[in-house]
Amino acid sequence: MMSTWFQVAKSLLAPSASDCLICGKKAQVSSEIPEVCKICQTSIPWIRNPRCSKCGRHVGCPDCSRSGDPGPIVCNRSAVAYTSVMREVLGQYKYRGNERLAPVLGLMLDRAYTVLQAERGQLRGEGSRQIHSKLPAIKGKFKRIGRASLWQADLLVPVPVSDARLAERGFNQAERLADILSRHRRIPQLPLLVRTHHTGKQSFKSRAERLADMKHAFAANPDLAIRAEFVYWLESAGLQTQSQPLQIIIIDDIYTTGSTIRACAETIHELAGSLGCTAEIYSLTWARS
Amino acid sequence: MQAAVYAVELEGDWSLWVSLHMNVDRIWWSGTRGERDGWNNRAADKLVLLSSALPLGWAVKLREHWDSSRAARQWQEEDWGRYMAEVLRTEIDVERRGGGSLNVGGLYTEVDENYRSAIGCEKGICADVLGAAAEQLMQVLDGRSLLQPEVEALLEEQLPGLAGQWRAAVQLCHLQGRLSVEAAVGAAPVLRSTGAWHTARATSARLLGAGRFPAVTGRLLRTAALRLPQLRLLRRGAGARRAEERCLRCGSAPTGRTACAACGLVGCAYCEACLALGRSRACALLLRSAASPAVRCTAGASPTVAARRWGLSAAQAGAAGAALGFLAEPRQRSAARSPERFLLWAVTGAGKTEITFPLLAAVLAAGGRALVATPRRDVVLELAPRLAKAFPAETLAVLYGGSADRWTHGQLTLATTHQLLRFYQSFDLVIIDELDAYPYHNDPMLAYAAEHACKPGGSFIYLSATPPTDLQRLARAGKLPHARVPVRFHGHPLPVPRHVGMSSVHVCLKRGALPGNLLQALRRSFARKAQIFLFVSRIAHIEGLLVLLRQDFPGAAIEGTSSRDPARAEKVEAFRSRAISLLVTTTILERGVTVPRSDVFILDADSSLFDEASLVQMAGRAGRSKEDPAGTVLFFSPQWTKSQRGAVAQIRTMNTIARRQGYISKGAGL
Repeated sequence: MMSTWFQVAKSLLAPSASDCLICGKKAQVSSEIPEVCKICQTSIPWIRNPRCSKCGRHVGCPDCSRSGDPGPIVCNRSAVAYTSVMREVLGQYKYRGNERLAPVLGLMLDRAYTVLQAERGQLRGEGSRQIHSKLPAIKGKFKRIGRASLWQADLLVPVPVSDARLAERGFNQAERLADILSRHRRIPQLPLLVRTHHTGKQSFKSRAERLADMKHAFAANPDLAIRAEFVYWLESAGLQTQSQPLQIIIIDDIYTTGSTIRACAETIHELAGSLGCTAEIYSLTWARS
Repeated sequence: MQAAVYAVELEGDWSLWVSLHMNVDRIWWSGTRGERDGWNNRAADKLVLLSSALPLGWAVKLREHWDSSRAARQWQEEDWGRYMAEVLRTEIDVERRGGGSLNVGGLYTEVDENYRSAIGCEKGICADVLGAAAEQLMQVLDGRSLLQPEVEALLEEQLPGLAGQWRAAVQLCHLQGRLSVEAAVGAAPVLRSTGAWHTARATSARLLGAGRFPAVTGRLLRTAALRLPQLRLLRRGAGARRAEERCLRCGSAPTGRTACAACGLVGCAYCEACLALGRSRACALLLRSAASPAVRCTAGASPTVAARRWGLSAAQAGAAGAALGFLAEPRQRSAARSPERFLLWAVTGAGKTEITFPLLAAVLAAGGRALVATPRRDVVLELAPRLAKAFPAETLAVLYGGSADRWTHGQLTLATTHQLLRFYQSFDLVIIDELDAYPYHNDPMLAYAAEHACKPGGSFIYLSATPPTDLQRLARAGKLPHARVPVRFHGHPLPVPRHVGMSSVHVCLKRGALPGNLLQALRRSFARKAQIFLFVSRIAHIEGLLVLLRQDFPGAAIEGTSSRDPARAEKVEAFRSRAISLLVTTTILERGVTVPRSDVFILDADSSLFDEASLVQMAGRAGRSKEDPAGTVLFFSPQWTKSQRGAVAQIRTMNTIARRQGYISKGAGL
């Protein structure tokens, strides 16, 4: 009795060391990523300088050099290389349902956005169009005010999952990641796409199977409210009248062959075309395998 | 998931049901299937569908709060709506505040009165086929506690034909009273604490009623059972709000809450404690089978016969005899709510596994199911061939994370303690090995799982060389039946540790030299060609020590290993086969490793990371073989602490008891 009382008192007085979300051990938390310990934080395989400028891969990429065709996306950027540790982390989140990992993964994706932003800025110089000046001014100590010339995306679109998968898992990981990025960067997100058929788990398939499967796997969201929202957003931002293409980012958890992203991008191109505007589509994924 | 919920009137009594497949319920309550096996033959007077799709957690709550005395007979649509709103008041509030989009108003309008409308609902359902499917389903789900994805995985493997229509079959089993349909996270009924047990029995009263008509007889439960009066206290106001939410599978409080696409709520609670076995949430379907009564072992099994059959020593046979007596004992409380417990306190190297053989044999012979569980996966892998050899005629299921036997129904089951979360009132005998070991020790989730895996009238046997202090106290006070095996199988006393004063490892590493008395002792052990365990308290010390040791003993094969070492298994194997003669390690090797002709050195034995139990366990690595039963055990530390004193005292006590009982073989005295 006495000892339990003592233990409670001691636990109240002791400094709180929390469990690391990645390794599960009690350790000092890193300053950069919340709820991740210093050891795990230093071992994250960030992709800071992608080797393939197209798909954002950290190693040489035969897939992109194989075809000269420009494809439906401008480029992909990923936060981390899909190592076995990262696979375990994603599994914890996606399959086991440990949703406490969502903010961590979202924050990591945000870094990939910074990389993309920096690259685009260099390419386009000062000429990029500013829609965000139309939004109410963003104030906050973390925002670098005065860097208004930075490239910004106009819209985030998460890769949808099938209804069966959504019911099983309870959430769409791409949508949750897009949510975080959207809040952090003040970029709107819209679920413009739906999955028309259940393609089964991609992780059990070969490259050829995936490519064949992905054709017509996605369609424009038939939900009229979403479509109306999209049209309203285009009009209110005055985007339809401008000659410059929309800057859209597709969000997903992982880029493997890119077939999912390409299929989504094609559907978005069609949708944008039907509304009389053009789009430049990028993709941002948490991991690149 | 979402489920339908409806009320049904049968001979003036109203009951509330949750349905995964409304058509099955309509056929059931139409009472037209009386001739056919497995179906109800009494028609309901009235059926009121309260909602065709409600978050499962809400549907279950409505059912659990139903009080049959309610005068529902005269109720109109609005009354049903009011009842639902009243029971779900807290949930609706939380949802509104969270900005949920679920149409709560829909609760009232969806009430639909339906009289015997079985017409047209048989589309796609063949009652005979479904009856047979339900039979098959119960065979594979017997004794299980499974979430929907687990049920689906099990069916895919065991009954692939049923994979598409399992919902209908589950619903029929539920109506028959053989399967409970629960929300995996929900309000737990008031806990009834029995001694040291953390119980959170959340069995619905309906299922307990069903238990009186055992499915084991093969005869089906008749509707009479469904009319048993249900006594339930309706808690209101603050009491209802305080009703604790629990994960029914693991007993933990759900700490996560998230927007859920499966049930449509913005705040669907989920459990973070048992995520490793798939997510348990407020709208997740948890299926549990109704228990069959526990078998009773015959008292006829003579300990001496058992001893001869299994080749037990006198001390082993004595303990086995006591445990057999415990198993055969009639239970004092005939309607025992929790299993009876027995502690087998056997010193390190006593041959615990052999002692369990006659116990397992007795339960299996009585037609029961037995389980051996251990916290550690490597112990499971080591025990599996021994059990298979000892019980060649029984089906053995070996369960651990990723094992192939995952859905095998074994008469004898060997599992890691985590796997017990998948069982419900399944075993007549549960033996828990090394209950004081990580992670079982101090994990209420695993204790909850173990208790739920055992039938209410079943038996628990704990094995340990170092039982936790609360169990030791209960045993000493005579409140816990127990038997001690105070001597090793070879009949020699346990080596008693000696203390050697030495500065801390940290200081030695700083100084860059090991003290003379440690080196001298090591030299003696090398000279007698012993295998040396050198335990340290911190992984960080291993590297530095290896450098110093290799300088001092250039010819010797010296290695270090820890939980962070990927080559750990290979190094332990090399140590066993004498390719490595000195292994610097941490408490990861305190248990389960048997190396003949070994000496044990514990550095920083005064570290707070070594408690009494772990010192006894580490000391227990020495002198385990018949050929070298003595062995040296040395505690090196600047301080002589309570833990060290306790460990030495415990070892001495066991030796004294052994000598007094005459178990020490002649010429083996100290």
